[in-house]
Amino acid sequence: MALTTLPDLAAAEAPVPRELVARKGRGDRVFFGGASFSGLVVLATMVAVGVFLAIQAADALSATGLSFLTTAEWQPDRGQFGIASVMIGTVLIALVAVAIALPISMGTALFITEVAPQWLRSWLVALVDLMAAVPSVVYGLWGLFLLQGQLIGLSRWLNAWFGWIPFLDVARADPNSPLSSASVYTASAFIAGVVVAMMVMPISCVVMREVFSQVPMGEREGAFALGSTRWGMIRVVALPFGRGGIIGGTMLGLGRALGETIAVLLIISPRFDINFHLLEAGGNSVSSLIALRTFESSGFGLSALMAAGLTLFAVTLVVNFTASWFVARSRSGASSEA
Amino acid sequence: MNFATRSPRRTTLLALAVALTIALVAPAATPVALAGTSYQRISGEGSSWAANAIDAMRVNVSQFGITVDYNPSGSTAGRKNFLNGTVDFAASDIPFQFEPEDGSAPENPAPGSYAYIPVTAGGTAFMYNLQINGKRVTNLRLSGENVVKIFTGVITTWNDPAIQADNPGLVMPARAIVPVVRSDGSGSSAQFTQWMIAMFPSLWDDFCSRSGRAPACGFTSFYPTIAGMIAQSGDLGVAGYVSQGFAEGAIGYVNYSYALGSAFPVAKVLNAAGYYTEPTPENVAVSLLQARINTDESNPAVYLTQQLDGVYTDADPRSYQLSSYSYLIVPTKVAGQFNEDKGRTLGAFAYYAMCQAQQYSASLGYSPMPINLVEASFEQIRKIPGVEVQSVSIAECKNPTFSPDGSNVLAENAARPQECDRQGGQSQCPNGTGGLSNVPTAVSGPATNGGGQTPGAGTTPAGGSTPSAGSTPGGVTPGAGTTANGTPIAGGDLGTDGAPVIDPDNLNPGEVCDPDTGVCGVVGAPDDGGVTGGVVGAQSPTVLAQSSGWTSSIAMMLLVIGLTLGLVLVPAVVWRHLSRTEPA
Repeated sequence: MALTTLPDLAAAEAPVPRELVARKGRGDRVFFGGASFSGLVVLATMVAVGVFLAIQAADALSATGLSFLTTAEWQPDRGQFGIASVMIGTVLIALVAVAIALPISMGTALFITEVAPQWLRSWLVALVDLMAAVPSVVYGLWGLFLLQGQLIGLSRWLNAWFGWIPFLDVARADPNSPLSSASVYTASAFIAGVVVAMMVMPISCVVMREVFSQVPMGEREGAFALGSTRWGMIRVVALPFGRGGIIGGTMLGLGRALGETIAVLLIISPRFDINFHLLEAGGNSVSSLIALRTFESSGFGLSALMAAGLTLFAVTLVVNFTASWFVARSRSGASSEA
Repeated sequence: MNFATRSPRRTTLLALAVALTIALVAPAATPVALAGTSYQRISGEGSSWAANAIDAMRVNVSQFGITVDYNPSGSTAGRKNFLNGTVDFAASDIPFQFEPEDGSAPENPAPGSYAYIPVTAGGTAFMYNLQINGKRVTNLRLSGENVVKIFTGVITTWNDPAIQADNPGLVMPARAIVPVVRSDGSGSSAQFTQWMIAMFPSLWDDFCSRSGRAPACGFTSFYPTIAGMIAQSGDLGVAGYVSQGFAEGAIGYVNYSYALGSAFPVAKVLNAAGYYTEPTPENVAVSLLQARINTDESNPAVYLTQQLDGVYTDADPRSYQLSSYSYLIVPTKVAGQFNEDKGRTLGAFAYYAMCQAQQYSASLGYSPMPINLVEASFEQIRKIPGVEVQSVSIAECKNPTFSPDGSNVLAENAARPQECDRQGGQSQCPNGTGGLSNVPTAVSGPATNGGGQTPGAGTTPAGGSTPSAGSTPGGVTPGAGTTANGTPIAGGDLGTDGAPVIDPDNLNPGEVCDPDTGVCGVVGAPDDGGVTGGVVGAQSPTVLAQSSGWTSSIAMMLLVIGLTLGLVLVPAVVWRHLSRTEPA
């Protein structure tokens, strides 16, 4: 007496996967459309900026050709102009900024993620974000009126003891003379770089903190379980895991440092010869040159500035793409993208 | 979708929406309706040399509901942006450059689309930061040739015999001179280089070639720089740099008002009569009697522009060679964003600038306009489209230069320079200058021994200032303070020329003399009612900044330490690196 009938298994032997039809609702479609539109707008804007700069710069570039890259002077109305000195100045300032910002931002990021107690953590995160929100002109004024005077001692010390390293040499400086002017140490690429470092630091720090906070708990606990100290854990787990983020964050900072304008403009004393001496008064950067001259130029002079801007745009683009490539390639970056 | 087919409910909704829109827009529209009685906001840009005067006008016209924005980004930028139509008026120390002599691109305003209004006069002063034995020098004198040599890098130390010869009463220190120049396109640079070319052409030509500008060696708004110079943006940038504590030995060219605002002295410059003079408002007024003003009204491109050769060679003992006028450039046609409503505001502002504002310009460090230029300016103002022509009775302006007989009272009554300011004397006047005019510097005759300074002799500020002199118009207040030890601080500057110091608290925020930038940081709080000065004696004598430099024994020691560290660390690091990578 069969009270129950078992279903006929044979009948269902050839399973056909259920067809998945994703019927997008109106909301989905609107969202998809909106998201892809914004993505395209970003892309289009970048292309438009590049094309605009290229068109505007065409005049100046065709007039000078390759000598645009090798000329140090900036007298476009007389046909003598190039970005040799400003580009080198830009790179020097950015390198100083990154060299200072890298250890600080890495230390801050590690402190926030690994060391700081919970209550302090949120405060520090907010403070670092606040640093990123301070307008650059404020940093510039702070650097001009406060930091510059304080940094002269450091510049003088560096020059006195390490002046034999060519790029730390300062012409006209005489550390042995009590009457030597401190002015030779002011308005330099170094001081501008320190100020820019303060602006770069929060950006690098945010990226690094993000990466360090993703260090897998298992590996972290594993390291501790094997008897590792906190520093040991940071060294063998956190740092290797976050390597991509460290490099990426640093390069994002470098991108920002290359383009920093107003703080550099306020501090540096513009000069148009190739100057590798970091501590010596005078330097230049592409963006500060543009800020200084845009409203004083017309026609051809403006085109020359656009050409300088185009170069900076290209360099920044390369740096930022390299940065994102590093971030994406690293373990942490890949996991965050997946 | 036809309106007729809409449901009644829809129509109601639509009507509601329209009503709501009207309700929302209406309040916003009201000011537009009132535009006939209120002033439309206008914006200007240009000269930072004249910016202190224009800012004071700007602040004072706000009581009439006139809002004027002004960006002191330099005369060149002002003229360019005026041509681009992004500002409603420009302020420039020099007229449009149709044929620039420095190889820059020519400026080509449309003929008849603009007019010049000479708005203020002043002196380009050489503000400096120099101490002798820890005491600030306030009575430096320079001949024109030495000024040029300083700013062309020919003279590089303060104890150069040529400068010492100008200052027989001082023992000049062996400090390097740091010329601070303008980095942006500036009318001050143009005026300064024009004077250099007129007076010392060979020095200028030599500098021009050395700085890589040759052959375009005419006067220029873009000052060429060579190693050892500092370039800063704007008068404020130059004054800010010179007044920093670290900038000892620096000298920069700024309008006289900036030296007053920073409480710093300016150099007295030798004039053709053989006197060293300071660009006080009175001296500037005297000097500009010799300026040749273009009176060709048929040619608006040059009408009212200045020709200053006569000023350079003026034989009046009171004259200051680097005196000049600064101009407003106003549109005479409606174009772009400039309309008649804005013209109405600009006209009212210009009337105020030419009339009431001249009363107090001397207190700021500028010189009031003489009657002939005020009258000509009133005619120029009529050319602004939309202007409400005012019939101003010139006597009501209370301009200190006016007199019933038409002569320039300010210039006539200007005091003759003291005999000790004459070239070739045995010593020099101890009186301070510029923003430290009541802080004298001890002087000695050349006969005294090398020690020179008698400490303390110059440290007592002149009691000449009357702190309770009351407030002066135009947001300018003299102030005075006292330090804890009872030393009077130079506050109100009512010394030789009666020009009070600009109170930092009453200035535009952008124009504030930062208390940290100079002497202010040494004495007193920034808000003690006045620009603090009188720091003589408050600063310690010269400190040996770096007594020991790099010596070979130290180099060897560091080398040994470095090698030892390397010997210990490098193998360990290499070994660890190898052992870690091996298993992988």
